[in-house]
Amino acid sequence: MIRKEPRLYYRVFVWSGTLRLFHWTLAFSTFILILTGIYIHYPPITTKWAEFKPLYIMATLRYWHFAAGYFFICALAVRFYLFFAGNQYERPTDFLPINKRNLKSLIHNIKFYLYLTDEHECRMGHTVLAGTIYFVLFICGVIMGLTGLYLLYPETPLIAKAGHQLFGTPQQARLIHYLLNWFFIFFIMVHLYIAVWNDFNAPDAIISGAFSGSKMMPADLECPIEELEKIPFEK
Amino acid sequence: MGKKGHEIELAGGGVSRRTFLKGCAIAAATLGLSPEVVPRMVKAAMSPKRPPVIWLHFQECTGCSEALLRAARPDIATLILDLISLDYHETLMAAAGKQAEENLHNAVNKNVGKFICVVEGGIPTKDGGIYCKIGGKTAMEILNEVAPKAKAIIAIGTCGAFGGVQAAKPNPTGAVGVQDLIKGRPIINIPGCPPNPENFLATVVQILTYGRPPELDELGRPKFAYGRKIHDHCERRPHFDEGRFVERFGDPGHKKGYCLYKVGCKGPVTYSNCSVERFCNIGAWPVGAGHGCIGCTEPGFWDTMTPIYKHLPGIYIPVGGGIREQAEEIGKVAVGGAAAVIAAHAAVGIGKKIFSLRCSTEKKEEK
Ligand code: HEM
Ligand code: SF4
Repeated sequence: MIRKEPRLYYRVFVWSGTLRLFHWTLAFSTFILILTGIYIHYPPITTKWAEFKPLYIMATLRYWHFAAGYFFICALAVRFYLFFAGNQYERPTDFLPINKRNLKSLIHNIKFYLYLTDEHECRMGHTVLAGTIYFVLFICGVIMGLTGLYLLYPETPLIAKAGHQLFGTPQQARLIHYLLNWFFIFFIMVHLYIAVWNDFNAPDAIISGAFSGSKMMPADLECPIEELEKIPFEK
Repeated sequence: MGKKGHEIELAGGGVSRRTFLKGCAIAAATLGLSPEVVPRMVKAAMSPKRPPVIWLHFQECTGCSEALLRAARPDIATLILDLISLDYHETLMAAAGKQAEENLHNAVNKNVGKFICVVEGGIPTKDGGIYCKIGGKTAMEILNEVAPKAKAIIAIGTCGAFGGVQAAKPNPTGAVGVQDLIKGRPIINIPGCPPNPENFLATVVQILTYGRPPELDELGRPKFAYGRKIHDHCERRPHFDEGRFVERFGDPGHKKGYCLYKVGCKGPVTYSNCSVERFCNIGAWPVGAGHGCIGCTEPGFWDTMTPIYKHLPGIYIPVGGGIREQAEEIGKVAVGGAAAVIAAHAAVGIGKKIFSLRCSTEKKEEK
């Protein structure tokens, strides 16, 4: 099937500046956390030469890990705030499969990614499949933050108490922290692939949207124009 | 002669006064107290009413008692003759059989609410607790009889505190620590496999001096001994920060005293003062001797800290009778799998595109 192009598009602004700030803070901090975290887990080089010149490589990378960890936690806090205070598309009600419309959309998304249908769902916010996975990622991020803080401050009474209730000993928390690390690596691989794949197969230009906050919506879509005009035009 | 028992002991040279004072001073230092409390401690310890101690043995290897016998500061003689009155200890007492049973009964009932009950070993609870019986009574029965009458209970060793090796999965005898069975009495856990006798001693002296147990952490361990990670006070820590690691036992790094992190040292997640107190009065301790910490003061360490020479535990996967995977293997498999799926997905997509393009050009040509 050849798509009808040129087609008329509206450029609609969906993602608030705050959400984009959250996205890139999370992206960069996660990237640093994974790299430094893997070094902490298994330092591949033993710096034999450091006998001559101090490097403090483990101490430094741990420091970066903790610094990035704070950015990561702040990013999650911002996202949590947007769950309630964000625009229509940033709230969980829009992208979790909790009603009939979203459930239908979820099934459609899965079919689309399995090449069972060519019909791309042009949707203003997240597609439901993406939204659900992002939500799972958010939960995993919270667990990363909590286990991370527990590993960092295990002697602080409040954190010690909460950590013991939630995860058990620091060693158990460390195992959870490490296993979920692989979920983040897995997520990044799939996320980047899907983003690029969508740029090939769908017209909404989601990659540039991650910077500009906009999406391209086909004008011939059944979605009424008034709906489109309701969208906050903030930049 | 008008002299009380301990004075005769001191005068007779059984234990020199010097040794005895030294013992008190060391106990104070272990507790992190100022030297000013030493006289008070000495007074408490010299009081004719030395606290009776009843020492119970259940599922254990007697390693904790063995460690106690090797206590050097002060030695065992000072401890049991001057500091405490060890009224019942199965491996250290002369009595046996019926006489021993009587001793226990008398010691408990003469000192209700006054004695310190020390429990060494886990307590099996499965099938009515039949897996550990002494004199026809189960460990549970003995504990329930003795512990509620104690002033305080000290669970010595990881078995007494958390169940220990017999509580490791699948825990066939349903072994638990004292704190899981006894409520309403102060319980102090001194875990370790074996624990440092100095920590035990300092706890006893603290109870003697102040009449209350020391400050405890989340797991009921005294904070003076279990308040810091091994890693925080480890002599190899500069090597850790510097990224200098032992790769294999016996390699050049090992000979140079590098950090044992990569050969499975659990110091970063283990709470104990081993690196500070050390053992046997000769400054020895595992990491100092070139072996990583095995995390023996943490609950469930047989399950969570093994394999000993790996950083993290294996994960049990219930496939084909169960396999134990190292966590990173799982990660690599997951990520490798994801890469394969992505590649296949992309290939199908490209293939489909080429196919549909060809179809449509064919259709055009037909027209
Ligand atoms: C996506 C987020 C994160 C990833 C992928 C990640 C990854 C890792 C990894 C792989 C390790 C090594 C685990 C081990 O084998 O011991 C680690 C350790 C650690 N992480 Fe994270 N981490 C993340 C978030 C955080 C956060 C938010 C904090 C809190 C500030 C944090 C604090 C720590 C601490 C304290 C350690 C232990 C360091 C040590 O034992 O020396 N992490 N992390
Ligand atoms: S040897 Fe163990 S406790 Fe010591 S610095 Fe290395 S990891 Fe930490």
